[in-house]
Amino acid sequence: MEREVMLTGIGGQSVQLAAQILARASLLEGRHAMFLGTYGGTMRGGNTDSTVIIGDAPIVSPPIVSSTWSAMVMHHQFWQPLREKLRPDSIVVVNSTLFENSFATADSATDSTAPEDVPRIFEVPATQIATDLGNALGASLVLLGAFASLTRLVGLDALLQAMRDSIPSYRRQHVGANETALERGFESLPPNGAPAWPTAGVAQ
Amino acid sequence: MTRTLMEGSEAIATAAVAAGCRFFAGYPMTPFTEVLENFGKRLPAVGGVCINAESEIEAIGMTWGALATGARAATGSTGQGLALMQESLSEITRAELPLVVFHMARGQGDYYQATRGGGHGDYRHIVYAPIDVREAVELTELAFDRADHWRNPVQIYGDYLLAHTSEGVEFTADPFVPVAKDWAVDGSLGGSGRSRNINPIGMQKGSKSIDPESFWKRLQVKHDQIEASEARFESESTEDAELLVVAFGSVARFVRHVVRELRSEGRKVGYARPISLWPFPAEALAAAARGTQRVAVLEQNAGQMIDDVRLSVLGSVPVVGIGGISSDSAGFGMGPLLDTRVIRGRIESALENLEVST
Repeated sequence: MEREVMLTGIGGQSVQLAAQILARASLLEGRHAMFLGTYGGTMRGGNTDSTVIIGDAPIVSPPIVSSTWSAMVMHHQFWQPLREKLRPDSIVVVNSTLFENSFATADSATDSTAPEDVPRIFEVPATQIATDLGNALGASLVLLGAFASLTRLVGLDALLQAMRDSIPSYRRQHVGANETALERGFESLPPNGAPAWPTAGVAQ
Repeated sequence: MTRTLMEGSEAIATAAVAAGCRFFAGYPMTPFTEVLENFGKRLPAVGGVCINAESEIEAIGMTWGALATGARAATGSTGQGLALMQESLSEITRAELPLVVFHMARGQGDYYQATRGGGHGDYRHIVYAPIDVREAVELTELAFDRADHWRNPVQIYGDYLLAHTSEGVEFTADPFVPVAKDWAVDGSLGGSGRSRNINPIGMQKGSKSIDPESFWKRLQVKHDQIEASEARFESESTEDAELLVVAFGSVARFVRHVVRELRSEGRKVGYARPISLWPFPAEALAAAARGTQRVAVLEQNAGQMIDDVRLSVLGSVPVVGIGGISSDSAGFGMGPLLDTRVIRGRIESALENLEVST
């Protein structure tokens, strides 16, 4: 089984870091993972997207997917291409502090008889939570923690370790604040509300 | 068993250093730049040398020198940079030096360049086109081994997706044990009795003249042996396939995914992939195509590998191209063809045309 997670945001929101941490955490739990980041340029405010694929066996999916099991949306500016790849039952965790757009997919917007075909939206005020923690740049980790709690795609311990493994030596001063961001995010959505795997728990 | 998350470029450099590569020179160009950067991070730590040369021509010249000393050495670039290196590539092949080239192409438009080359004279080099990061690690290890075995260059043909996709990889190859190379130059001067001569014109030390004909014929024998023994190939679902789809490299990953999807829906479609572009796995491909009604080649260019596919099946089955030029606005080859929905549409059309024409 393979699970796709697409992330979108604007440059500077640590979208690529969140994707990397998610992939690395999956490896720590014994699963296989692949991710591909795409961005218009190394700059704040530009488009930045990432696709993470996690599976029980070596990943066979191409790194560019045509539809996704789930999404993490940090900002609405460049989210349209991702929105078109949502399936009717996709799980979408949204940074509600900044997101200003409609969640409806193209199908559900034109077909009022199928209101259930709206992806399952979970709102988390990630930027507000991070700002209250004094670490506004940690918003993507708040959202990642919330996503992990909801889906149990990966556990909190693996996320924390993967974050420590992903922070370069010259950014070590942020490790503590990032731990808090992941933990607070993990508390902000109901545990296992939308399970990723048939049985809860980690891979053998 | 620990899998480490690595971007393709990092995995390639790590595998190369583990395989004993101790010299790398290159000039940055997307999507090859990170390969160069990763060699730069890794080589000094093991006593090796990585040089950001002032041009691709200088980079391959430096690597040529390192190879002559018997070191495992490599260079690389995009197709654009490799265009500049063609003279040296052909000369290094005739000098029988085990060069490894990491070609991170901007798409698949450099198939002819990789398999035919633009240098002078009769020369060939092995070309491997990995489908993903894990296979790139294996083929990198193999490339250094085969280069030494044949004393012949080997190219890894990757692209933007291979260089920039991260996967959990393992490095399981046995530790590299340096092999004595009795042909390598060691600094001994002429008259010492220990000097050696490495050159691309077949000049033998001690002889008064060169003998190009017998030298080139000997190289031809070697290239025939490589062609007969080094082809690599993968296929699926070919037994009762009516349509066989052929693809290579990163694009094959999309094609394989779509063929599996169509198979699960009962469509009689098969998949074939040359892992080595030279030698081209002609016999294996011809066997896979036997019994099909049509072969469709899906490559991300105007139609290059299709020549080799046609030469493999020799008219026994019609061959059509269903790929095409596809790029992003920067020209990096990240075009709209890299989409399983688009590829599914192309393959479904080929299946429908089959039904119409039969």
